[in-house]
This record gives sequence, structure tokens and C-alpha cells, in this order.
Amino acid sequence: MSDRQQTQPVSARPQDLPVKADLARLRVRYHKDSRLAFLGHLDLISTVERCVRRSGLPFSIGNGFARRMRIQFSSALPTGTSSACEYFDVRLLEAVDPAEALERLRAATPPALAPYEAGYVPGRLPALEAWLDHAAWEATLLGEGLDAGTLLDGIERVRAGGVITYLRGEKEKTVDVAATLAGVSALGGEVGSVSLRIETRSVASASLRPQVLLDAALARADLPRPQLVRIRRVGQWHMEDGRLVEPLGPFGANAPAPLS
Amino acid sequence: MRAERANLFHLIEPLLPLVEHPARYLDHEWGACEEQDGPFHLCMVYADVYEVGQPNLGVAILYNQVNAQEGMSCERCYLPWKDLSELMRERGVPLLSLEGSAPLASFDAIGFTLAHELIATNVLETLDLAGIALTSSARDEDDPIILAGGPSAWNCEPLAEVFDAVLLGDGEESIVEVCACIRDARAEGVSREELLRRLALVPGTYVPSLYDLCIDETSTRWGYAVPREGVGAPAVVCKRCVQDFAATPAVAQRIVPYTGIVQDRLSLEVLRGCARGCRFCQAGMTYRPVRERPVDQVVECGVRGLLESGHNEISLSSLSTTDHSQCEQILNGFNHALAGNGVRVSIPSQRLDSFGVDMAAAVAGGRRGGLTFAPEAGSQRLRDVINKNVTEDDLESAARNAFEAGWRRMKLYFMMGLPTETDEDIVGIARMAERVLEIGREVVGRGPKSGVSVSISVAVLVPKAFTPFQWCGQLDPDEVRRRQQLLLHEVRDRAIRVSYHDADVSLVEGALSKMGRAGFPLVRRAWELGCRFDAWTSEFRFDLWEEAARDCGFDLVDLACEEFPLSARLPWEHTSPGVDKGFLQREWLRATRGVTTSDCTRSSCVGCGVCPTLGVSNVIQGVRA
Repeated sequence: MSDRQQTQPVSARPQDLPVKADLARLRVRYHKDSRLAFLGHLDLISTVERCVRRSGLPFSIGNGFARRMRIQFSSALPTGTSSACEYFDVRLLEAVDPAEALERLRAATPPALAPYEAGYVPGRLPALEAWLDHAAWEATLLGEGLDAGTLLDGIERVRAGGVITYLRGEKEKTVDVAATLAGVSALGGEVGSVSLRIETRSVASASLRPQVLLDAALARADLPRPQLVRIRRVGQWHMEDGRLVEPLGPFGANAPAPLS
Repeated sequence: MRAERANLFHLIEPLLPLVEHPARYLDHEWGACEEQDGPFHLCMVYADVYEVGQPNLGVAILYNQVNAQEGMSCERCYLPWKDLSELMRERGVPLLSLEGSAPLASFDAIGFTLAHELIATNVLETLDLAGIALTSSARDEDDPIILAGGPSAWNCEPLAEVFDAVLLGDGEESIVEVCACIRDARAEGVSREELLRRLALVPGTYVPSLYDLCIDETSTRWGYAVPREGVGAPAVVCKRCVQDFAATPAVAQRIVPYTGIVQDRLSLEVLRGCARGCRFCQAGMTYRPVRERPVDQVVECGVRGLLESGHNEISLSSLSTTDHSQCEQILNGFNHALAGNGVRVSIPSQRLDSFGVDMAAAVAGGRRGGLTFAPEAGSQRLRDVINKNVTEDDLESAARNAFEAGWRRMKLYFMMGLPTETDEDIVGIARMAERVLEIGREVVGRGPKSGVSVSISVAVLVPKAFTPFQWCGQLDPDEVRRRQQLLLHEVRDRAIRVSYHDADVSLVEGALSKMGRAGFPLVRRAWELGCRFDAWTSEFRFDLWEEAARDCGFDLVDLACEEFPLSARLPWEHTSPGVDKGFLQREWLRATRGVTTSDCTRSSCVGCGVCPTLGVSNVIQGVRA
């Protein structure tokens, strides 16, 4: 085993084992690009865990029966959606310089999941998945006969309707559009394509998948089905007292004040 | 005609949102060999879905061997699930390799791994999806050369018309020689027929098209194969065997999959071959001699492999890992090196004695899942017939030991349809399970919360080529079902769970294991009727197999249950794993008398013939207990 690989002491006494909140909490932003957009969330989790193991970082493992790595992820992306802003938090037995940690992780990760930023965050912040409650998405629809104005009208009509009911597999789901759709605007697009920026917030009951919103809007606006829809998550934040807190900080009162 | 080599991923990508588990088709995994410059291109195919094929160690070994050669590249291909293959056919997309997304039909050679008999229809499906002719004789001059190898190559006759060449035995060296032979012959511009003749001269390579079939009074109805005059092919093709096993890389798996696969762990082959001599076991006969890796190599390479792959589990694989003479040192070595890393060590098969339990405890740490043993038969008499050298006492002390060490769930493997088996032997399975349960209750306690349970799993014996049971017929499926019912009735305690293999699946496996070359029309017809993924319970269609058999004038029961005379020339005797026919005949006669034969790694030579025939010997690192 290489020298830099740390091993966690094995102890019979639970009180001697490291406690999660005392461990350094490294937050990493990474991409999910190209064909790996088709990687499901569970597959993504095991892949990233293996990257962390390969990196040789002194990761901590839990004290439970299964002895799993202490790692948490931001909310699951729909399969087929790419991202510029996925996050994971891994607890380390000792704080490694973030730049070095990032370099080690990059060397151990397939390029399509490459990490871009790393830093320590307070140990007692809530879990990533619940804490990051705002997201921005870019959707590009390719195909004949699409136009941004009509599509935006369709989205407005969906919003006015209040909820979308749709089938996911064989299960019927309902999502409250008024509560979850924070904003939508058209982006400049090439001929034969329409690009939108969609902002969502998560609520306890359900989160809004951009594809679901687009499907409903296309139907309302009576637009043809696009040949291809590409969706990318481009930002994730935590909303606190009207401030949008970046995942890697600054946190609390140091977070930038709301614009309006 | 050979297809043009090009990256066609753009044809697959639009289909991915439409299919289940798109991660199967992504490639670009950590450790995959992205440099595929050739100019010689081989594609290794495991004709099942990615999750099933990717853990295969044989494919991994050959992939590394070929990619390590200057001027040779090796890619992988798995059979797409039905949803994708349907879309591909609909849109005219051919089957592609993973690494380069190149059409399979553009490769110089394609190598199929025959991991089991039920993969036969999937081999045809793969070729068809790739747009390659199904039979060797129908292929064009410049079509890819279709190779095969693996455990089921020991009776490849039902698929002999499909393959241009079959590699017998260890493939590490021969795959490179075969590829070089194809490359050189192509460079010289020789005809396909001449190329195949040259392949037949590479040791361990069987070229079916160079052999004629003879049926006479010395043979079975399937006849025997003899080399055509003047082609230079050997009368008997002997397998290849790597004598210096420790000189081969211990960790062959370098590719770390993105998606959960059936054996999602790092696998390290700690030893090859097994000489215990169980008379039903084809691997035990065909992988001889026994070659162990030294403890230092196993531990060092295993720890490095874990670090390089990021896996959190390592499996010490082999036919019988706890037989390794340094097993204890190996497990201690891993426990020492991996303490506190959350890495699990697993051993696939447990030896049925206290040593086996000790070793299971050594890898389990504090965890206690289930523990599995394979007594294989329910009575001492029948265990002697099959040469499973364990006694009732062995099982009882192993069970007691395991319950005392904290295990609560015990799984026992048995077989049904063994030669000379009677109802008493079947009832014996139930009694044995009850005895183990009783021991558990004695040790742990009788209350409902003690959690003691026993599950028994009963397979059907499928007599395989090159085993002492190769002359036997398989048990009639109606009789299999009757004995299964008998067993169910005999098991009265609800803490004992019984599961058994489907008699119909075993029947098809039996027919495929027994048939000669003339059985190919059956496989082809079954595939034409829609049989695919026959090893998947959800996909197996016995009605279609029966229909195929009727269409070809066969009867599945007749095919699988036929006995061959002990003196007959068998359909597979032109290939050889090195084991003497005389030894197998002797073993069969000893079986009928209930006389056991010892293990040559623990006592003296038993005369199986492998060492003198192949010029090899057992390599045991320490002393076997």
C-alpha cells in the first residue's frame, strides 16, 4: 500500500472511532459530461467512490455494519441530463490542501466526470441533497417548427394551470409548477433550435424536471416534438434569507446580499 | 465483405434515451484501452449483456495480452439487450465494439467466450446483428475470422460450423499466436482456406472445417471427426497450458465498470486447476494441472490492484481457493494490509471442513452473512460415487464450527440425477439439511429469534464431456420433477428453504452438452424461432426449443438422456484437455463401485495423464493440508 494511503484505526470501542462532525468536510464540484450523462445516480455514486479510493485521499469510513465511505451527493440528475455543477462532500481523516486534493481527484477520475473545484465547508451544514434547493438548467431543443416565443407561452400556460401530472414508469406523479418553477427565459439559439434557461426550486413534495416541464409546454403550445432535447444543469444554490448561497461559500452572513 | 472501420457511436447515441440501462453501452470506463490503433484488430465478445460479460476473467486476460502486443488492438463487445437490438435492426445499425464503436464486421478477428452451453443462441444473435454470416462456409474471403474458446469449448461440436477456429485450454499465449498467424496470412494475401490451414498448425487450435465426420460402429450416432487428408490438421488437438502460471499477471481486471455488474469486485485468480477429482466436474478435469501463485504475489498484486481500481472488494477466485497451500497466509496478509479501509475480501467457494470455516471467519471480520457448503449428494454412498471426498462428520463439524463462530444462515448445494441415485439419496438431502438445522439450534438456541436457517439448492446433473460421467445419460425431466417433489415433501421444517433448477432448462443444457456437429440445425432453428438469452430464467422459452427440436426431427429428452457405450468414440475426442480416456473410463468404473480416488496434490499421482501428455506438473507453493 502506498505511503500516502491512510488507514483508519480499527477499534473495539465505539467512543474511540472518529465522529463524523469532527472530520474535515471536503466539497467537490464536478461535471457530468458527454455520454456519461446516461449514467444513473446509483452508478454515479459507486463510480465517484471508486475515484476517491483511487485518489489516495485519506477518506473516512462510517462505523456501521457495512463500513461505507462517508460521502454525500447533490440531488440525482435525471438520466441523460448533463451537468456543469454536481457536488459531493467527502469526510477526510485529515485536511489535505484543497488544491492538492483536487489534483489527486482529477488524476483518478474519467475526464467526463472531472472535478473542477474543491474546498472545505463547515462540518455541520445540512446534507447536500436537501441543502441545495435552487437549480438552473439550460435546455436546447433541436427540430423543425420550434420557436422560443410559442414555447415560452406554453410554459406560462402550464404555470397558470398550477400542476403537471405525468407518468414516470407506471407511476403517476404530480408536481406543483407554481411552487417549483422559479423562472424561465429564452437564450439565443441557432437556426433550427431553441434554447431556454429554466430555474427551479425544490419543495418537499416533488421537484420539477425540466423535461417534464418541456413536454407539458410542447403539448400545450401544440408544437411538434423536437428531434433531440439536450438538458444541462448549470447551477445549484442554497437559498437563505433571500440570499443565493454558493455551494462552496461564503456562508451565512458572508453570503452576497440579494440583488433585489 | 469486410465492413469499413469507423466510429459509429453517433448511430447508437440517439437510441440510448429509448432503452433500459443505457450505461451498458457507454464504454470509456476507467482502465479501458482507448488506444486502438491496430493495425491488427481483434474484438472479444461475451454474448450476453454487459453486466454479465464484463466480470469474465477470461476476456480480461486476453484483452490485456493482445493489447500489450505491438501492432495489435483488442476491443470488447457485449450483446445488447432485446430493446436495443430491436431498435438497431429497425434502423439498420450494425453491432459495434465498445472502445472504438466500430462495426464488428470490420474487425480482423472476433473471439467468442463460451462460458456455458446456454450461450449458443446468443452467439448466433451476435453474428446476425453484426451482419456476419452464421457459418464458416458461408463467409467471404475477407470476412473476420471467428474464433472461440473458454470452458464450454470442450464440446463445441454443436457450434463447430459457426467457428473458423477454436482455441483450447489456457489462451494467454495462444491468442497472440493465433492473431499473429491471421495477421501474417492476411499480409501475404493467402486465401481464407489457406489461412485456416495455417491456424490449424498453431498448437491448441482446432479448425472444424478441416475435419470430416465419420459415423460407424465404433462411434455414437454423432460420429467422430477426422482431419481431411492433406490439410495437415492434427488428429487430436491438445489444449494449451501455461506451466509458469505465477509469471502471468495476477490481476487481469483493469477496467472499472460504471454500472453495477454481477460480480462487482476485483477478482484475483489465486490458483488454476483443481485435482480433487469430483467426477461430475468438467472444470476439475479440463483445467489440470494445479498451479498456485505464491502468497507474496497474491497479496502485493491484490493490494495494488485495489488501489489502482478503487474497488472496495476483492474476490480470491479459483476452482477451490481454500485448497491453496498458503490460503491462511494470504488471508492474514490481506487483513493486515487492508485493515480499516472498508475493503472486503471474499472467497467464492468454501471447503467443507473446519479449515473452510476458519478461512471464512478470517475474511468475514465481524460480519456474518450466510455460509455456503457443497456436499453435492445426500448420502455417503452417493458422495463416494461422485468422489466428493467429504464425510457426514466433516459436514457436521463444519456446521457446528460455523454456528459457534456466529453464522446463522447456512446454504447447502446438492445435485440431483447423479448416477446410481435412488429415492433414499434424495431423502438423505432432507435429512442432512435437518441435521444441520438441528446442530444450529443446539448451538444457538431453539427460540424463533435464534435466526437459524438452512437453505438447500438442488441442481440437475448435466453430464459433460471429458468427465467420468460423459457416458451417462441425463435424468429424464419427468423423473427430475418427481424427485424434486419427493424432496419438497420430505422437508418438513419451515426453517429449511428448498430451491431447485428448472428441469427444462437443464434438459436443453444437457442436449447442447451431448450433441455432435449434426446438432447445429437445432441451435439455428431455436434462434430463428426467437430463442435468446436462454440462461435468463425470464427469457428461456422451452416451447420454442421443443418446436425447434420437432422441426429438426429431434427429441430433446432423447438427445440429453442418451447413454453412450463406454467403448464408443465420442463426438469430442478429436480435442483433448490432456486427461486420458483410460483414466476417465477407470474413474467411471470406480464410481459404479463406490470407490473413491484421492487428490494428487495431497497424495501420489492418480494417473490422469495430464502431466506427461502436456509436459507440465502441479505447482504447489507450500504443503496442502
